Amino acid sequence: MKLKSLLLVGGALLSGSAASAGGFQVSLAGIKNNGMGGVGTGLALDQAAMFYNPGALAMVRERGVQIGANATFARQSFRGQFGSEERTLRNSVVTPFSLFAGFGPAEGKWKAGIAVYTPFGSKLQYADGWEGRFALTDIDLKSIFVQPTVSYALTENLSVGVGVAVLAYGAVNLQRDIPAQNAQGQFGHVELDGKAENKVGFNAGIYFKPSEKLSVGVSYRSKIDATVKGGDVTFSNLSAAATPSFRATEFDVTIPLPATTTIGIGLMPTEKLTLALDVNHVQWSQYRSLDFKFNNNVGGAGITSSSSKRFYEDALTFRLGGQYALTDAFTVRAGGAYDMSPVKDGYVTPETPDANRVSGTLGVSYKAGEHFSVDVSTQFVSLAKRTQTQSDLLNNGTTDRVAGTYKTNIVIPGIGFNYNF
Amino acid sequence: MYKIFKNTLPGLALLGLVLGGCQPELEAPKADKGSADFSKYVAVGNSLTAGYQSGGLSNASQANSYPAMLAMQFKKVGGGDFVQPSFKAGQENGSGYLSLAGFNANGTPRLVPVTTSLAYTGQQLPSGQNQLTAYEGAQPNNLGVPGISVISSVSALTGGLAPYGAINPFFNRLLSGTEVLTTDYLTYIGRATPTFFTFWLGNNDVLTYATNGGVASATNPFSGLSDTTRFGIGYRALLGTISKNGTVKGAVANIPGVTALPYFTTVRVAAINASIKANPALPNAALAGLYITTGKGEVRAATASDLLVLTSTSVIGTPSTDANNPFPVGVGYAPTQSNPLPSQYVLDADEISAITTRTAQLNSIIAKSARQYKQPLVDMATLFTGISANGIATNGVTNTTSFISGNLFSLDGVHPTPRGYAVVANEFIRVINQTYGASVPFLNPNEYPGIPLP
Repeated sequence: MKLKSLLLVGGALLSGSAASAGGFQVSLAGIKNNGMGGVGTGLALDQAAMFYNPGALAMVRERGVQIGANATFARQSFRGQFGSEERTLRNSVVTPFSLFAGFGPAEGKWKAGIAVYTPFGSKLQYADGWEGRFALTDIDLKSIFVQPTVSYALTENLSVGVGVAVLAYGAVNLQRDIPAQNAQGQFGHVELDGKAENKVGFNAGIYFKPSEKLSVGVSYRSKIDATVKGGDVTFSNLSAAATPSFRATEFDVTIPLPATTTIGIGLMPTEKLTLALDVNHVQWSQYRSLDFKFNNNVGGAGITSSSSKRFYEDALTFRLGGQYALTDAFTVRAGGAYDMSPVKDGYVTPETPDANRVSGTLGVSYKAGEHFSVDVSTQFVSLAKRTQTQSDLLNNGTTDRVAGTYKTNIVIPGIGFNYNF
Repeated sequence: MYKIFKNTLPGLALLGLVLGGCQPELEAPKADKGSADFSKYVAVGNSLTAGYQSGGLSNASQANSYPAMLAMQFKKVGGGDFVQPSFKAGQENGSGYLSLAGFNANGTPRLVPVTTSLAYTGQQLPSGQNQLTAYEGAQPNNLGVPGISVISSVSALTGGLAPYGAINPFFNRLLSGTEVLTTDYLTYIGRATPTFFTFWLGNNDVLTYATNGGVASATNPFSGLSDTTRFGIGYRALLGTISKNGTVKGAVANIPGVTALPYFTTVRVAAINASIKANPALPNAALAGLYITTGKGEVRAATASDLLVLTSTSVIGTPSTDANNPFPVGVGYAPTQSNPLPSQYVLDADEISAITTRTAQLNSIIAKSARQYKQPLVDMATLFTGISANGIATNGVTNTTSFISGNLFSLDGVHPTPRGYAVVANEFIRVINQTYGASVPFLNPNEYPGIPLP
């Protein structure tokens, strides 16, 4: 009963942001992990192992419920090659949210749990009248995964686990202006809004702890195609003369949420100190183009589809982090990550103004008594300044986007509450 | 719990500070005049320079001329004020222009002339044209004169027999009463003392002839294809004058191919033939087709290599005015069984070839003269060849040369829209930056109107 109401609250708040990993991937599952540069696959820290490595869940001593929330503050500047002003976003805050609940016998070989998290998402609202308005004015991409998980310790040192990752909720909202003016000089506008179909994938992992001082883990999350069928198309500000060219009311689209493989290592040189390293490999090359199909005209008689090149490349993320138990109650954390962008030069789009990212993280936990603890983390993410010129766009046939320079910084404070029983 | 908040509050306060400083700043792009001096910029040219569009010149269209846009960007690197020869208050719509009222059932646009706040005096020039009210301010920076060609700019080339101030109302309004018969454009631009100039003349040396379907008008001595000899003499005189023999820095543009203009590409022979063959009012319609009178006076069936002018739709298919000829205009079954479309509505293949050849010859004179007077060439011919093939994409929008929907050409099918002029200005900026080591910022063409639809 309690779990159900928590889920409902979560549903109201859940949303992701293109915040802490390349492309529109979001790695903000566990607040402890967030404080350590996002490591976790080689560790059995807490219930968030269901996200980072289901194989490690059986080795997590406590059973309990953990909820976490992040607030993503993205700040961006853009200067167009053909445009004079510096543009900033209409700032918005998004709050990726996670919930993990683990069960099982205290000393048994197995553990089970349920995880709710947001591995992909993006929300950006560009300045009114910005240069790229005909490519994008607003994007809001949300996904919520629910993952029932089981994990089993084969030996004292080796455990495996698997979760059924259900795309329980997915939503896409894309808006842009249309380069056709009405008699008042206003440009047309189109909004695409749709819900994704429910899909099922899996998340599996192996965890091996050969000694008190070393642990390793491997995990794999499968690809899921987020498919929207019959989403709503709404046109506005069109002149009467242009209306016959824009009669679509429904759209279909498929956005791949790519497979992710992670290898992690944990080192415990002393009882109080833990160090960890993760390397993620995301198969972004599965994202080749963004294709929309419409049920009627979009931009002229007989034009009922659109295709925009993506040709993402597989990308690696390197994460390094550690924690130190200052006292029985306080644990402090720090970490960092280097995240390679999957987006090639000339292919940067306003919906994912991506670049290589460097992030630094800090975290602290306070244990208030036997059952309750709170985690706080903060991430500082800096996307490298990225410029693409008109000739880059012409050379790649990607003139459906905008030439210019993007620079983005993101700050993501997070807080998590744990209740162990 | 209290302790938690006590411990985290300073952290949250720190976070607030960090967020405040989180907004990245991108350095403003370098804006530099390089070796050029834009303090007094003067534009020499024809209708394109004046800002003519949709068949007219008004204060609004002047404000959206490419020289006005260039001056605005030059100002960011130390440029001075730019004076337009604007029309008086109450006469803002100048010569009047076309506006788009809607579309007919067959998809053709309904173009309606704007008739309010015009600047006509009610008098006529000796050439029969309606006179525009005089511009009384100081000599403007925009010296563009709609309609002017190279050989009409230099009165010596016609032995002084055709004073252009008495022919062209746009030039007439810039001259004082006593100058009209004595001052040619060469003399007029010689009074300017620019520190920087743009020079774009020569279009009308082929365009006037082309837009008239390859028919020179008996009343206008400058309506034929200009000959290369007089063009060369005139061009060098004009460029030498404004550049003070090559000592003033500027930029010189050449002539884009005129046959790619929407004026010639919108009405297609194939479409007209199809509509004739589908006309139930014609007997044996399937055997009928479009017949034309060529420049040489021959009557023949139109082919895909003939270009029909934009205004031909207003005459094709209209009832015959000749009692002995039963066919509607343009319709025929054989050369002797037809009511051929008059030559001024069609550029036949021979005329196209003559125009294309002459344009290339004039462009080679332009390139040579530009070198002679140490000016960079802005290759509008190549730019517009590319645009007519592929359109031009900026900031996610591809604008094309299609009539109305392409957004680059105004309702007359010949002159650009404000957006088209911004594309022109960007090409000038590109060449100026490259030549003079300047970094004048580019324009965003999409910020300028294309063709708003009713």
